[in-house]
Amino acid sequence: MAREVLLPRTLDDLWEIFHAEPELHLYAGGTDLLVKLRSQPPLPSGSPSPLVCLERIDGLKGIYEEDGLVCIRACTTHSEIMKDPVIRQHFPVLTKVLSLLGSPHIRNMGTIGGNICTASPAGDTLTPLYTLGASVEARSCDSGRLMPLKSFILGPGSVALQQGEILYGIWIKKDHDFNIHHFEKIGQRKALAIAIASMAALIKLSGEGTIEKIRLAWGSVAPTVAVSHTIEDALTGKPLTENVLRDAMPLVTDALSPIDDVRASAGYRRRVATNLLLRLLQYKDA
Amino acid sequence: MKRGKQVPFRIGTTTPRCDACTKVTGQEKYAADYYGDHFFWAGVKRAGTPHGKLLKVNTEDAKRLKGVVAVLTSEDVAGSNRVGIIRGDQPVLADKKICYAGDPLALVIAENKEALQAAVGFITFDHEPLPGVFDVEEALKKGAPLVHEDSPEGNLLRLVSVETGKGASAFDECDVIVEGVFQTPFQEHAYLETEAGWAYLDDSEQLVVVTTTQTPFRDRNEMAPALGIDVEKIRVIVPYLGGAFGGKDGIAIQCLLGLAALHTGGVPVKMWWGREESFLASTKRLSARMRYRLGVKRDGTFHALECRAYFDTGAYAGLGETVMTLGLEHAGSAYRIPNVSIEGSCVYTNNTVGGPFRGFGVTQVTAAMEQVIDMAAQRLSIDPLAIRRSNALEKGDKNCIGVTLTHSTGIKKCLAALSEHPLWREKEGWKMKAEQFKKRGVGIACMAHAMGYPAVVPDFANAKIEFTGEGRFRIYAGIVDMGQGNTSTYAHIAGAMLGQDTSVFELVQPDTERTLPSGSSSASRTTYVYGNALIIAVEDLKKRILDKALHLFCSAQAEELMLVPGGIRHREGKKKVSLRKVAGLFDEPERTCTAHFRSPAATEMLDRIYLGPHIIFSYAAHLSYVEIDMLTGCAEVIGYLAVTDAGNVINPQAYEQQIQGGIAQGIGFALSEDYKVANGHTDTNNLATYIIPTAMDVPDMMSVAVDNVEETGPFGMKGIGEISISGPVPAIANAVADACGIRIGRNPITAENIFQALQKQDDQEKPR
Ligand SMILES: Cc1cc2nc3c(=O)[nH]c(=O)nc-3n(C[C@H](O)[C@H](O)[C@H](O)COP(=O)(O)OP(=O)(O)OC[C@H]3O[C@@H](n4cnc5c(N)ncnc54)[C@H](O)[C@@H]3O)c2cc1C
Repeated sequence: MAREVLLPRTLDDLWEIFHAEPELHLYAGGTDLLVKLRSQPPLPSGSPSPLVCLERIDGLKGIYEEDGLVCIRACTTHSEIMKDPVIRQHFPVLTKVLSLLGSPHIRNMGTIGGNICTASPAGDTLTPLYTLGASVEARSCDSGRLMPLKSFILGPGSVALQQGEILYGIWIKKDHDFNIHHFEKIGQRKALAIAIASMAALIKLSGEGTIEKIRLAWGSVAPTVAVSHTIEDALTGKPLTENVLRDAMPLVTDALSPIDDVRASAGYRRRVATNLLLRLLQYKDA
Repeated sequence: MKRGKQVPFRIGTTTPRCDACTKVTGQEKYAADYYGDHFFWAGVKRAGTPHGKLLKVNTEDAKRLKGVVAVLTSEDVAGSNRVGIIRGDQPVLADKKICYAGDPLALVIAENKEALQAAVGFITFDHEPLPGVFDVEEALKKGAPLVHEDSPEGNLLRLVSVETGKGASAFDECDVIVEGVFQTPFQEHAYLETEAGWAYLDDSEQLVVVTTTQTPFRDRNEMAPALGIDVEKIRVIVPYLGGAFGGKDGIAIQCLLGLAALHTGGVPVKMWWGREESFLASTKRLSARMRYRLGVKRDGTFHALECRAYFDTGAYAGLGETVMTLGLEHAGSAYRIPNVSIEGSCVYTNNTVGGPFRGFGVTQVTAAMEQVIDMAAQRLSIDPLAIRRSNALEKGDKNCIGVTLTHSTGIKKCLAALSEHPLWREKEGWKMKAEQFKKRGVGIACMAHAMGYPAVVPDFANAKIEFTGEGRFRIYAGIVDMGQGNTSTYAHIAGAMLGQDTSVFELVQPDTERTLPSGSSSASRTTYVYGNALIIAVEDLKKRILDKALHLFCSAQAEELMLVPGGIRHREGKKKVSLRKVAGLFDEPERTCTAHFRSPAATEMLDRIYLGPHIIFSYAAHLSYVEIDMLTGCAEVIGYLAVTDAGNVINPQAYEQQIQGGIAQGIGFALSEDYKVANGHTDTNNLATYIIPTAMDVPDMMSVAVDNVEETGPFGMKGIGEISISGPVPAIANAVADACGIRIGRNPITAENIFQALQKQDDQEKPR
């Protein structure tokens, strides 16, 4: 049976819909949700719950600066974020990730909020946002709350949104001092590829080549993004050399818990994700 | 739309294809674009289980749903309920057995898509599961479950063997023997346009089916007995296809559509498979396992070849045995080999359904042969190009099945051109420039590809061209244009002969009522065979036009007149008469010229191989630059060159499109495409899991056409549609071996496969 699609223009309209229609499906670009709905068997009878599209709510779009923080509102598309000069200047790791996400048409439709709320282990925006220490803001009709992205993501496909809440925006501090922004994704092809493994890295490298500060995050090799302070601590204060990285590699291997799927085996994922650390050598003399 | 002055078509000069504009602007109407004010939707309930005895299909619940018009089972099929051009072993709707997961059990007709989907979900069936066979060699063992209990040789559909010279005993005379096992997977065609169609009974009770097929005339002949209707009562219309690559060669959607239209009480019915259904129920390139042994003399001369091949045709015969046979005919690629022992088994399994796919068996064997050659070259420390040059076939030589080559044979020219190309000359420098954690390699491969049907299958076309009352030319293309642009090339040929440009041509796509039977759109034959017929018809028409025009030029001879864009001119004088004016002088029956052409075929050695040998081949030599990421195993194709002998070039752009398309599809086969079937079920059932290359995965491809003329070809051309797909697997595999010394023996050569092989190599090299 045909499905109803509601297209609110303002947040107030949205809250009203929430009030009237507790059973509904939210979506922004629909690039995850519509794929999921399509794969579900049709309902034998009765109308399926309505879809509520967030894409046309202006209040959920755009990138703003406030007190040294940048807020990317949830329904901003990947293309818009990629083009944004502030993001490009302060968070090149995010720009890099987005240039590898899906394809131009997916980036034109898909949103950062959708990517986060899908909470896929392979969600590409999650690793850079973890390294950047991003927070998220959830809002409901009468309140808002801020929490670290790490605590928002509960597990594969699961986020800490309560009934009546939406993801409003992502907050990132501007004043970090990392001078190396790195991201690499291993997929089955170069575009439209779901990550087999990925790694984001932020490094503050001294003029002498010492790692003064480092943040690392791996995607697609654990139920959620994999991070490890042990590894970061082991590398901090050390020179960026092949030996130093190789010494840390066993720690990486231990920090991951990948699975087998149609794209790759767990064993391959683990070894490749570990190897990705060596790619940081390219910045040695940078 | 205003355009510059139109230039007449010229042989050898690029002209954009006639269908380009209507396709990119969305005006071209494909089979899925038919709708009406009142029509029904049809859809299929499929088995979803690979092997079983079908006891009962329960349709009552589905029939009761609102909006459901009819639910049909095999009992509603009035005819034989069997299709399959060679064996007739495939049911329209399963009756006794389920032989693979895609088998259709019931056909639903509904008022709308939602009711259709719901009804399909309500159909259940009772069956007795049977153990399945999923491996070709297991299938041939005694006691293996039988896919078709009534098949005379059990699961062996066909055994083909060829022996020449001393056969395998010649290995005793060889200095070096190399061997290997090579495997290629099922490949999905993944055409943009999934199977679709529109069917109805017209006022005269004729069944009209507008659909996606490469074989309209053959389909009609298959549909009639299967559905129990007179062949004259079926009309098949085929618009441009959105890709086919062999996957629409034969019955897939046609009978289901036809059957539905017979049960709607005259209402038109539409069917349109989704991507998952297309993956499940369409044919695949037959997977193959090949044991190869090549014996070589110390100086690099190929002396003996042994090939033991198993091709998996899946649940039904289709054209599987001919696919394998064409492969075996090319088992020795493009070389002289005096002693061969070739044997292939085409085997039934419960995996999927095998069928034609661009390359038709040749892609599989070429992958194996061209790799053992590199292995031999390495053992003998001979350059891989040099060893190929010294063994390459020449006109007058016997090919690997012992048939003497009497037509154009340009493989040596291809190799010569490759050797002079900058990509070959500069390869060592390029390899040295690999960055940290990267290794680079260069690989080459040769290939041959036969054109047309095997000797005992008549290969003919009937061209038809009409000079319309408006002075335009209407070409009735009897061969489907599945996207390769053959019908556009028909206009190119006629235009070049008639001195006309694109604007005066109309192309009628195949329609069994309007166009003439000309065989399938397959076998790299479409331009060769129809083009030859068309040339005869156009010559006839041209003569008629000039003769008529004489009436308008007093005191002239026909030889003094010439056709110019839009009209006719006297060679010396200024006078020009429009085509429209000349057209006015024609009587209706004079407007149309038809001609028949039958391709030359072997007359000797017809029993050398099943259905007889081919005699005209295209040739090519490919080169690939590949970079391996040692940290991940990813292989990236950085550069690619194809040097081709497909005779003379009619439209360079169309030629290059075929070369590039074949290479891209071949790169997919080499690196990522893998239709995985485990115990009869697939995990790669859509485009998210079945990985075809994107534009980002395909490098710049260079195409060089060598100067060679096929005397029997229209303007000296021969087939170009398939050959280039056979190069990438071996050229890339050889490059991977060159880069890092590993040979995986099966494609796709995924990052994970390379990574594992590197690991193994590492472990072996480690001192204990
Ligand atoms: C062909 C293809 C390729 C892709 N490639 C990639 C890739 O390379 N990398 C990658 O990471 N992803 C990829 N994706 C997945 C997808 O495009 C991204 O995850 C995208 O960011 C999802 O955004 P969306 O707005 O389309 O999400 P939607 O589908 O609209 O929503 C996804 C989920 O999030 C919820 N949601 C959305 N917005 C909000 C909100 N503001 N508040 C609360 N809940 C919300 C929805 O309810 C839904 O459950 C691909 C998808 C496709 C179809």
